[in-house]
Amino acid sequence: MASREAVRKSLQQVRPILSVDHNEARRRVLNLYRAWYRQIPYVVMDYDIPKNIEQCRAKLREQFLKNKNVTDIRVSDMLVIKGQMELKETVEIWKQKGHIMRYWKESEEPKPTDFLSKFIAGQN
Amino acid sequence: MLRTPLTRTLSLGAPSRVFAVVRTSASASTPAKAPEKIEVFVDDQSVFVDPGTTVLQAAAQIGVEIPRFCYHERLAVAGNCRMCLVEVEKSPKPVAACAMPVMKGWRIKTNSDMTRKAREGVMEFLLMNHPLDCPICDQGGECDLQDQAMAFGSDRSRFTDINYTGKRAVEDKDIGPLVKTIMTRCIHCTRCIRFASEIAGVDDFGTTGRGNDMQVGTYVEKMLLSELSGNIIDLCPVGALTNKPYSFVARPWEIRRIDSIDVLDAIGSNISVSTRTGEVLRILPRENEDINEEWLADKSRFACDGLKRQRLIAPMLRMPNGELQPVEWESVLIAVAKNLQKAGSSVAGIAGSLADVESMIALKDVLETLGSKAVATETKLPKQTLGKRSTYIMNTPIADIEESDFVLLIGTNPRYEAPLLNTRIRKGYVHNETDVALIGSQVDLSYKYDYIGDDASVINEVVSGRHPVSKRLSSAKKPVIIVGSDQLARPDGAAILSSLHSYANKLEKDGWKVFNVLQRNASQVGAMDIGYQPGAEEVLASKPKVLFLLGADGPSISRDNIPKDCFVIYQGHHGDAGAAIADAILPGAAYTEKQATYVNAEGRAQQTLVAVTPPGLAREDWKILRALSEVLGKPLKYDNLDEIRARIEKIAPHLTNYGKRDGSDTSKDKIEASGHIQSSKIDIKQKHLIDYFMTDPISRSSPTMAKCIAAVKKQEANPYK
Repeated sequence: MASREAVRKSLQQVRPILSVDHNEARRRVLNLYRAWYRQIPYVVMDYDIPKNIEQCRAKLREQFLKNKNVTDIRVSDMLVIKGQMELKETVEIWKQKGHIMRYWKESEEPKPTDFLSKFIAGQN
Repeated sequence: MLRTPLTRTLSLGAPSRVFAVVRTSASASTPAKAPEKIEVFVDDQSVFVDPGTTVLQAAAQIGVEIPRFCYHERLAVAGNCRMCLVEVEKSPKPVAACAMPVMKGWRIKTNSDMTRKAREGVMEFLLMNHPLDCPICDQGGECDLQDQAMAFGSDRSRFTDINYTGKRAVEDKDIGPLVKTIMTRCIHCTRCIRFASEIAGVDDFGTTGRGNDMQVGTYVEKMLLSELSGNIIDLCPVGALTNKPYSFVARPWEIRRIDSIDVLDAIGSNISVSTRTGEVLRILPRENEDINEEWLADKSRFACDGLKRQRLIAPMLRMPNGELQPVEWESVLIAVAKNLQKAGSSVAGIAGSLADVESMIALKDVLETLGSKAVATETKLPKQTLGKRSTYIMNTPIADIEESDFVLLIGTNPRYEAPLLNTRIRKGYVHNETDVALIGSQVDLSYKYDYIGDDASVINEVVSGRHPVSKRLSSAKKPVIIVGSDQLARPDGAAILSSLHSYANKLEKDGWKVFNVLQRNASQVGAMDIGYQPGAEEVLASKPKVLFLLGADGPSISRDNIPKDCFVIYQGHHGDAGAAIADAILPGAAYTEKQATYVNAEGRAQQTLVAVTPPGLAREDWKILRALSEVLGKPLKYDNLDEIRARIEKIAPHLTNYGKRDGSDTSKDKIEASGHIQSSKIDIKQKHLIDYFMTDPISRSSPTMAKCIAAVKKQEANPYK
């Protein structure tokens, strides 16, 4: 307890959200990952989505790796909190099929970038 | 009008004549010794003014606007509305500020009890005979009477209809398909009468009856046969004269106004485009002293409903059965690119009358990547004009023409080819004693002129000094020669041009430019500036395998003078003559739908702004060509408007100097005389009002313009006219 107080004093300028050091933040991320990983078979079952467990786990990994460059503890904590909220909503079936499928962004068309495709899309 | 910006009122120089707007020009001769200024006091503020300045102008100089209905700075003073009454100290009665010249030491009170009481009284009388129909009146929201009743009127009404007879009512007049009249609303300011007789030169309007029975009208029912009739809508301070096609369409607070440039004639009038929900509702003039003052020609104002009809909204390809079928952009671009590649360098481009500079540059660049330099304009001019700017623009600025003391018109009818140029000449004729002479068909120019025949050999006589007109030209201080561009398209056009150009150069005095060519379409000067060849004949004679028409709808191009196996591509906005003969159609944007550069007849580059988006799959014109170049595998080096403008600037720097006129050195350009002027009749295409309304794809598809033609025909058939 005493050591924790000392750390807190030194970190007073940036008030931590959950974790006080990198190890703790990392543990939280891994815990969240594990929770999702274990939930995925049930998600596939409950939501009747056209994806199997492997595809969902690949997507899970992709989603986590998207933030692999985050070094700020507070940012990673906030991402963990949001991930937990998503998980909770998934587990409780507050989401619907479409919300899960949204992770794959299949209906989203990439925005045209070069002149010709912008011209044909009528976006310039 | 109360709403007019103060700067305009202030720019009003010479007070003795209302119309004389003083411009400082290098060519203006130095005036005689300026008379001493006199001091007057407006609301106890001292102001020094020239003798003869009216009270209203003196007040305007220090920013005090006196309410008025009948007074208008471009029209003669009438002084009949009495709204501008102000108190002058030691004067027993209030004076009419618009008509009363100031005297030394006058103390004018524009906000005293007497002044306010006078205004309130005038307002009460006006409203007594004015219907309370603002909710159904088209002028509602932009009405001078409404605004001034709020500002200066009484807060309660004393009007009681004791005999239950209703208010004064006046029968509506039918003056044609453009102007709707609700004469009960008329407050007899006589602005429309003064405009018609002073500026339009059509003395049809007048008043009949006196007092309560006074009516403004044409006495016998007839159409207002003028190409400037729309301006009386703007002048009317109340809702008595309103825009007929626009009636009950929108309120001024619902619409968005976008400043733009008119392209239906070569003058390049400044306009503001009113839009709502992606639709052009009406077009109003925007003030520009150098070009259109505050007027606008009827075609420019009322042809805007043609922008919604006959539009090309999808790319099309001609199927083997001969029918045009709408397709996607990908397929049309690929089909066009295939044909262009097959043709190699045997391709040619022709730019039509409404093409903007950006798209013409892009077309030229695309054809150059294919190895072809065959780009031409639809309108023919002598080949010698190429690169010699003073031989195809108006070297006298439009605004200076009113200062001229002798105008020689050759083979042109400015009244219908460029109505706002004609108002300048008329202004000079009325106020500056300009004399006008005309060679060509005898037409009604709305002012008197010396008719000196329609034979081209008269030009020879004038140039050699044998004709009496030559004496007038050489004795004139500021002579002007205006040649219609149609005459330069004659077989002997080069001879006419060279003899007149060198003759006019000899007449130049103190930097006053004499030689002018009046173009008839908005694209010509811009096209010539970037190196388009004038005239499509040579290009067609080279028998191209692919012909690219950039809005070319004119009679000079038809299936008969194009080789049989030629693949014709039409890019434009209206399904007109050009689209009918095309094998592939690329839908482009009209002038209200793109930000584009146009150069007017006097060489002034101006740009239009985007008011609405192009309909359907139509795209901005230069972008179509840019996309096509990419499909061809040789992309042009510009992706956005700034980059293409930078390219334009490299070719012709003056073309991006918007709003500024770039004149040219007339003496530098020498034209070799080639051939002789043949002794044949000079013909003018637009002789009568009926020829004015439909001249281009936009006005041809406008129902309002069709109604105008029908109305003129009806008027002409009237035996009692």
